[in-house]
Order: sequence, then structure tokens, then C-alpha cells
Amino acid sequence: MESISTNKADLPVFYAGRFLDRVADAGLLGDHAVLSDWDVLPAQLSAALERASAVVVLDMFSFPFESLVGDLQDVPLILLLPPQLDSGFLTTVFGQAAFARLGFFDRIAVRNTGLWENLRRRYNWAEGQRVEVEEDRPEHAAAEISAALEAESALHATFGDGDYEADRYWTERGDALAGGAPHRAVCSVNHSPRFNKAIHRVQTAALLPQFAAARGTQDEEVPFDVLEVGVGVGRWAASFDPAMTRFTGVDISEAMVQAARQNFPERRFDRLGDEQILPYGDESFDLSFSVTVMHHNPTPTKRALIAEMWRVTRPGGRLMFLEDFVSGGWSSKSTVYPMSVSKFAALLVEATAGQVVLEHMESVRYQHDDFTRGGLLSVSKLGVARTW
Amino acid sequence: MSENDFYTPTDLDRLRMENELLAFEVRFLKARSGGPAEVSGSPISLSRMTHLEEAETDLKLLLRRIQNSPLGPVARTNRNFRTLIGRYLKRSPNVGSMSPTQRAAYFEGAERDLVLLLKRLGRGPLGVVFRGRKSFRTLQERYL
Repeated sequence: MESISTNKADLPVFYAGRFLDRVADAGLLGDHAVLSDWDVLPAQLSAALERASAVVVLDMFSFPFESLVGDLQDVPLILLLPPQLDSGFLTTVFGQAAFARLGFFDRIAVRNTGLWENLRRRYNWAEGQRVEVEEDRPEHAAAEISAALEAESALHATFGDGDYEADRYWTERGDALAGGAPHRAVCSVNHSPRFNKAIHRVQTAALLPQFAAARGTQDEEVPFDVLEVGVGVGRWAASFDPAMTRFTGVDISEAMVQAARQNFPERRFDRLGDEQILPYGDESFDLSFSVTVMHHNPTPTKRALIAEMWRVTRPGGRLMFLEDFVSGGWSSKSTVYPMSVSKFAALLVEATAGQVVLEHMESVRYQHDDFTRGGLLSVSKLGVARTW
Repeated sequence: MSENDFYTPTDLDRLRMENELLAFEVRFLKARSGGPAEVSGSPISLSRMTHLEEAETDLKLLLRRIQNSPLGPVARTNRNFRTLIGRYLKRSPNVGSMSPTQRAAYFEGAERDLVLLLKRLGRGPLGVVFRGRKSFRTLQERYL
């Protein structure tokens, strides 16, 4: 049988593999494309996924995960776990090939809660990455996933009316999106999960080596205390092994904090008060970081947050900032306060009374941008610990 | 510039910000690799050096603009102006071949000259004309 496909852009692609006959009659909603196991040749697959908004893999055994290279890595995956297999078997077969490459913007469709829990803990997935299906047979699951994708794309949340004011905007955005569309709550609100996954992947490539560098040679048995300011729904919590790290996140939006707690029940998430005072004691963390938070805030707020992050970081610990240092025109509706890297560095020095040393700096370029926009600054805190 | 940097970057500003970001990174990499680091690796020195380099670029642009404007012939009758033209446009030194200390001294000198020039232009009889131009006001906000 020939596969059913369309040429339309930005459609979810259902990889039915060996189950094409069954999935073709499943009554999938909305525009979509369906691929069979004849479509796995690299050129064919690449063409089929070029503009895919997501790939729903209904037959994991025949899907060529190794073909997802280059830009194809940005396509969000939704994997339907094969039924009646235990976590040990699935890990052995798909651990390296599939599970280890899943990130915050990929999801797993699974019926069995016990199996999900086992895998979630093992791979540090967020609870929000689960697509709960009532039936794990491909044709039924495909229909359920299709309905879920349709509902997400139809979600039109309104928030942030009027001139931009950081606290109000991010609180309202969290209320509107944290529960129903977390990727839009924490990344680019007007773009697809594919766009946001691409951004996330670039940021991950810059941040993960620096997270490892921040830990340095510290004994693995000594817990590594990490704080993320502006944690959103907790997308960076998955980057830290809970067995070796005590991750804490703080955010101004109560809805975001609630979503983060649901996503990572073993981690700590707190709400940041209006005064930008972090609810932690001095020298509580080995690493404090923020990702695309500072540039959304005016200079006084930036200064207050940096000073607070410095206060709660232990001497010798790291502070990291991944921000946009190149901005377009400012308007009352814009959510970005332009600040160049030099001005930010000067502010960093001022807010910490010069008690920091630059450890790492790199520019970050996103694939869709024609100029370099982001930058990662990592500094270590000088001083002698007050408590041992 | 206000506390919140509520200015509207043009494409030129965006290019300047990108250039600043990349220059900052290059300087950091040079310092880390033990190359001809003109400054130590602290954020103060890195950002300061970027600022000084920008001042030198702005000074050159300003001098070229004045020279090519209708005021050029009048300005060239001033000995100080001719000195600046000679120092930064006609006999501009090869910064790449300078030692780190010489480079820092050269850029600091350029910043001092720019500040002096801006003050004199702003106070002189044509100050009103200069202050009426947005680019001049931007330079004043940036360096004075």
C-alpha cells in the first residue's frame, strides 16, 4: 500500500511504519501526513520531515532514529511506546537510539503509568512530556494523539494586553499557558514547538558544558546545589541528575511554579516575590543561573536579581546568564529591554561590587537569525565562605 | 541614556551590539588562549576595552563627517582639528602591531580626544547646530 502524504507545510507527520493499513483508517484529525516503513530511506524521510511540525512515531521498531541529523533534530518527537514491553527491555533496545536523545520538547505516549514512572525517573523526563493514551494500539493511540495536537494548535490564550510591564506580563502568560501549552509559556509564544525546540537545542549546546564545568571536580557524593531564576515550567531541571544535584527553581508566576512542581515532583520550586528577593539564605548554591530572563526586565530589576543571585551563591560558585545582547527596536509592546554585552558586564560588576571573575563567554546564534543575538556569560564568585 | 536604556536601536545600533558581542567573545578567547591578550580576563577590563575601541571608531567617524561637511574648510583652519585629523585619519597607527600597553594607551587617548572634541563642539558658536543633530546627541549621551 502506498503511504498517504500531503505537500502542505508545518503538519504533524505520523510514522505508522508497519501499521499503515490500520492507521490510515484511524480518523486522524486535521491536516497531517502518514508515512509507512517504505518511507525510511534517508532522502525520502528528510523530504517528508522537512517542514513537519512534529513526528509521531507509532512504530518505534522500524523508525530510523539515526537518520534524524542536522535540522531534522529540531522536529519534536512523540513516541508511542510499544505495548506489553517492560522498561528494562525498552531501555536496552531504545535507550541510546531514542530515549537518551529526547529533550523537553519531545513527548512519550504511554498508557501504563508504572512503565512511564520507571522511564521518567531513569531519563529525567518531565511529567508534562507524557501524552496519556487510553489505548496503546497504534490506530487508537494515533487518533488520541491527533486530537491532542489539534486541541493544542487551537489554543488561543490572551494575555499581556496593554504596554509591557515585566511582572504583570509574565504572571499573566504563566496563568494562560503553563497548564495547556508549556512550550509557549517558556519559549517563543508565537512559534511552533519545532521552532522552540531548535532554540532549546542551541541553548543546550552552550549550557551543558558550562553546567559540567561549574560542577568541576566536586565529589559526586557531595550534593551540587543549583538555582535557576525564572525557571518557568522547569525545562532546565532535566539537565541535572537528581541523584547528584539539588535543583531549585524560582519564578514570578504561581502558575509556572505549579506546572514546574508537576513536571518535576522531586525538585523544589518557589515563587519569587515582587521585591525580587530570593527566598534563600546567603551562600546556599554552587550554581545560580538564568536563561533569557534578564533581557525581559528593566535595568533596576536586572541589578536586583544579579545582586541576589550573587548573595545566594557560594564563594567559588558560578553565576551564569544566557541572554540576548542584540535587540531590535524597543516599543511599549516589546518584551525585551535592549542591553549590550558590555553594559551587562558593567552591570554585573556593579551589582556584585566587582567580586566576580569571568570564566567563560560565548556568543550564541540561533538558526533562524541572520545575526548573532545571544551570549552566555559565566562568572565565578570571589570571596571566602562564611560558613563551612 | 536613561536608567532602562529605553532607546530605540536602529539597524546600525543592532550591528554595533552584535559587533560588541563578537568582539567581547574574541577578546575572551584571546585572553584564555594566552595569546596577545591586551587586557586581563576580568569583565571590567573586557568591557572597558570594548568601550575604548568604540570611542576610537566614533571619533574617526565624527572627524570624517566634519571634514566632509560644509564646515570642513572652517574646521581645518583650527590647528587642534588638524592635529586630530593627522593623528586618527592620516597617520592612523597599525593597532594590530602594538603591544597591549600601547594599544590601551592609544585607545584611552582616543577616548580623551573624543570627549574633548564633543565638549568643544557642543560649547562653541555652532553648538546649537550640532546639538540639533540626533547622532551628535547620542555621542554626547554616550561619552559625556
